[in-house]
Amino acid sequence: MGEPVVSIRDLQYRYRGQKTFALDGVNLTLDRGEFLMLMGPSEAGKSTLAATVNGLIPHFHIGKLSGEVIVMGRDTKAYTVAQMAEIVGMVFQDFEAQLFSTNVELEIAFGPENFAVPREEIKIRIDENLKYVGLEANRNRPPSTLSGGQKQKLAIASVLALKPEVLVMDEPTTDLDPISKMGVFEITHRLCKRDDLSLLMVEHETEEALFADRIALIKDGHLIKVGPTREILSDVDLLESLGVMPLGIPKFFKAVHVPDLPLTPDEGVEAFGTLNLKINDQAYQQMIAEDQIALKVHHSPLIECKHLSHTYKGDVKALKDVSMEIHRGEMVAIIGQNGSGKTTLAKHFNGLLMPTAGEVNVNGKPTVDQGIFTLGQSVGYVFQNPDHQIFSEKVFDEVAFSPRLRNFSEDDVKRCVAEALEAVGLTGQGEEDPFTLTKSGRQRVAVAAVLASNPDVLILDEPTTGLDYREQRSMMNMVKKLNENGSTIIFITHHMWVVAEYAKRAFVMKDGDILLEGTTREVFSQGDVLRDAFLRPPHFVEFSYRLGYTFLTPEEMIACLEGVHD
Amino acid sequence: MDAEIYLDNNSFIHRLDPRVKIIIFLLTFVAILLFQNPLWMLPITVLIIAQLIISGALVNLRRIRYILIVLTVSSMILWNLFSTGETQLFWRISVESMSFAIARTLLMILMISAGMILITSTRNEELVNGMIRLGMPYRVGFAISTALRLVPTIVSSTITISQAQRSRGLDLESGNLLQRIKKFLPLLVPVFLSTIRNTNIFGMALESKGFGAKEERTFYLVFEMGRADYLVLVFSIVFMLVSIYFAILGFGQIEGLIRF
Repeated sequence: MGEPVVSIRDLQYRYRGQKTFALDGVNLTLDRGEFLMLMGPSEAGKSTLAATVNGLIPHFHIGKLSGEVIVMGRDTKAYTVAQMAEIVGMVFQDFEAQLFSTNVELEIAFGPENFAVPREEIKIRIDENLKYVGLEANRNRPPSTLSGGQKQKLAIASVLALKPEVLVMDEPTTDLDPISKMGVFEITHRLCKRDDLSLLMVEHETEEALFADRIALIKDGHLIKVGPTREILSDVDLLESLGVMPLGIPKFFKAVHVPDLPLTPDEGVEAFGTLNLKINDQAYQQMIAEDQIALKVHHSPLIECKHLSHTYKGDVKALKDVSMEIHRGEMVAIIGQNGSGKTTLAKHFNGLLMPTAGEVNVNGKPTVDQGIFTLGQSVGYVFQNPDHQIFSEKVFDEVAFSPRLRNFSEDDVKRCVAEALEAVGLTGQGEEDPFTLTKSGRQRVAVAAVLASNPDVLILDEPTTGLDYREQRSMMNMVKKLNENGSTIIFITHHMWVVAEYAKRAFVMKDGDILLEGTTREVFSQGDVLRDAFLRPPHFVEFSYRLGYTFLTPEEMIACLEGVHD
Repeated sequence: MDAEIYLDNNSFIHRLDPRVKIIIFLLTFVAILLFQNPLWMLPITVLIIAQLIISGALVNLRRIRYILIVLTVSSMILWNLFSTGETQLFWRISVESMSFAIARTLLMILMISAGMILITSTRNEELVNGMIRLGMPYRVGFAISTALRLVPTIVSSTITISQAQRSRGLDLESGNLLQRIKKFLPLLVPVFLSTIRNTNIFGMALESKGFGAKEERTFYLVFEMGRADYLVLVFSIVFMLVSIYFAILGFGQIEGLIRF
């Protein structure tokens, strides 16, 4: 194999002003043509490690660095980031901020221009790379008019135009919807087959790790384990303990004590056959019946949409004749691609948007008559990005914002805030500065801030985006608890496993209309319709289809397994 | 929500060489400043209106109409207060101060319009490229384009943020001016912070794509001056020279105007 392309030796790094090391004693190599996946919980040092490869650390983020990072014989300490750009390409999570041209072609030209590549050659590279990522048709469009997925593809193309030896991708799909994720992954699948390019990717999607050659697990700045993909993914317990989502299929087979764990649906089906496992049909039917019973508990309508349509300025039909009902006490998910109308629909529930045709009733009264200020008291809306709403210097003031606006007495405010902070698990942190909290902490503050005005309904727009697996779980467990205590919960998400495990009922939206609705199991049993809406059920659900059932979690399947008892 | 200022209209003005557009822009500024009398400003006003219509920049002016209205009203009042003349019109307002106020207001609106025409019809890169080819250092040009680029980003994040705060019961529509300004505070902090965060990533992405890696760089965009460019340029220069000639002869001033 020869010399590794990247070799990191005894790397230690501390951000300026921080007491703890973000990276501590990291040794790692990347071989030519290799695809290495870097996984770990939030704040583990994944992005920090990624940023050392092209010299953003230590040049851009000032801090204390010891050890060395050598890429193609260049010590990153001795070269500027710009100089490293020839050999290391970097794609960031934020697809908005990394594009800066007004035209797709020029975006790709930017890198080669900086290295004084002749104009004719730049032209060739533009054509090549646009074709590679499938954006030829958009070559003259401004990047700002592209979808998130297209922007990320453009970012990849613009970096590839520099012909780097190493491509570092820092959570390239975290902010994308499922279809865009698939598009970006389709590109990475082709990239990882190239033997002239080494790939280092930070990613939360464990199913994508199946394509990697090796996986490195990192936590608290230490590499916990580096090894071949199969070996790492089979270590379900280690992944779970690190806060990385394990795959459902090995998780299931581990519970039935199989030595060589299958990882993919194909392998799962095969192993299921060879092991002679069987599902108890009676138990399965019982489970389906229970789904229905659980639904019937909630029947008083809280939100009703009747022939709701919404047309944005400039004739964009975002919702087309939607009729739906949400009952008091339910926990429902709304899923669909970006642009399918999910958020537009949800914004009608709290009066941020008013119907352009049809009607929305909340608590039996049309939203048009109630207005956003009144509706806001009964319907809370947590926006996707907590940083769009947090502005106070103290968590307490942030959470107290709404009750104070509504002229609660200071005692009531205190009580509301204390209750809200308790509900989100932030008791005693009222004096903290929200901006020093982690993303998941800020997300909780945002939820608390909405809870403080005691709404009946809580709408959460992508509450789990940008959080790691453990944080996603704890966020959703918290939401579930709120639901059990009587709040009606409506959440919008792109994470299919969150829907599978937490929603009782789900609405699938496509092109401004409801494509599918029903219990979560009913919805997930329609694999083909979901795929038609470009939603991909998790591997585990896929695996259960192939056996002729719809199981949402490994636990469910284990419970229905014939003759297996631990 | 589209917050871009550049409009991809491909009008006659869009197709002009950016260098020509920059030169016209500078010449326009001089031409606007030459005369005190609004009547003498009419030719340049007509030219600018024509450009506004051709380039489609009126749409962008509409977007900032509130700012324009506030500017117009305050400028009309102020210039009337700060100057006077012999012919009384009503109260403390004289014919001279009135026409001076009109001229000054016109001046401001025309300057804004000229700027708007330039950025409506010229892509960021073209603008920077044009400036660099006219002798500006690359880094300075890039800084200007970055500043322009920030505008749409800030606008779109402001929209999202105001929705988030309204959902929490913030009522931006009522109250007196002071109360309203105070209410905007919850919007400003997240807007600033998210802008700072964005620019941080922007900086990283910039360096990661080799910004400033080498002394010389290629420009993928190349312009060639066409016949239209030369014609427009010649016309502008002639227009300019004629204007200066009249200004030197002393035309276009307001007789009897007294400025404080």
